[in-house]
Amino acid sequence: MLFIRNWMNLRDARNGEILWESKEDLSKPNREHEAKVPRDILKCRAVSREINFSSVQPMEKLRLEQKVLFQGKCLEEWYFVFGYVIPNSTNTWQSLIEAAPESQMMPADVLNGNLLIETKFYDDDLLLSTSRVRLFYI
Amino acid sequence: MMGLLSLLRKLKTTPDREVRILLLGLDNAGKTTILKKMSSEDISHITPTQGFNIKSVQTSGFKLNVWDIGGQRKIRPYWRNYFDNTDVLIYVIDSSDKKRFEETSIELNELLQEDKLNGIPILIYANKQDLFNASPASEIAEGLHLPSIRDRSWQIQACSAISGEGLKEGLDWACKNIKPKK
Repeated sequence: MLFIRNWMNLRDARNGEILWESKEDLSKPNREHEAKVPRDILKCRAVSREINFSSVQPMEKLRLEQKVLFQGKCLEEWYFVFGYVIPNSTNTWQSLIEAAPESQMMPADVLNGNLLIETKFYDDDLLLSTSRVRLFYI
Repeated sequence: MMGLLSLLRKLKTTPDREVRILLLGLDNAGKTTILKKMSSEDISHITPTQGFNIKSVQTSGFKLNVWDIGGQRKIRPYWRNYFDNTDVLIYVIDSSDKKRFEETSIELNELLQEDKLNGIPILIYANKQDLFNASPASEIAEGLHLPSIRDRSWQIQACSAISGEGLKEGLDWACKNIKPKK
C-alpha cells in the first residue's frame, strides 16, 4: 500500500493567508520536522492546519489522530474519520480551530520549540504514517 | 467576511452536534473554489480535485465538516462512499456550461434517488454568475425540474465563487434547513 504525505501548511484562518508551508516529505519516519512560523501567528484568532496526502490503493477506514503537545502534554487533539479513500487519489484535510483568548495565550518565548504537532494516519487499526512537526516562532 | 466560523456559531442552536455538508457536482463546476472562498483563501491555483477536500471547523464543542468530492466522471462512482450522515447536500452547477446541463441534470437526479440521501435538504448553487453567458438561476431551476421536488426542502442560489456573491445566502439557507438528528 502506497500512502504518501505530500505537504502541510498553517494559515491565518481569518484571511486564509499561508503562514507556513512544509517543503519536505513529512512522513519520513524517525525524523522530527521543524516549522519556523512567524510570531504573529499567535495573534491570529483562528489558525487552520491543512494536510495533503495521496493513496494509490483504496482504503476503507482511513482515520487520523492529530495532537498538539506542549512539552509532551496534550493541549489539543483531533480525531477525524475519513472513511473511504479513492484509489489513486490526492486529498486534503483542513482543520480550523479558534485560538485561546490572548490573555490565556502563552507567550511566544515560552512556546518556542516546545510545541509539537503530531499526526498519525491509520487505516482502521493499521498505523500508516506518523509525522512530528516542531514549531519555532521567529 | 462570511467565514465558516461564523456559520458554525449560527448552528449553535443544535448542541453537541457534528454537522456534515457534502459538496457535489460535475468537474469544473467550482466546488473547490467555493470551499476555499468560504474561508477567504486564495483561489488562483485550484486544480481538479482527484479525491476529496475536507474542511473541519470546531468551536466550543460544535463541529462542522464540509466535504468536497471530485466531480470527474471517473470519480463520480465513488460519491456514494461519502453519503452517510450527510445533513445538507450542496450541488454545484456551472451556469455558463449549457452543453453540460443535461449531464448535470442526470447526475443530480441520481443523487435525489439515493436512499442514503433520502429527505436530505439540497441547496443548488448556480455558480459562475459572473460570466456573461451564465443562465439565470430561475432558468436552471426549471431545466432541472426542481419545482417537482416534493420529498425534501430545496433551494437554488445564484452565486459566483470568484466574487463570493451569493455564497453566504446559500449557507444561511443550509443552516436553517438542517434537521435535528434523530
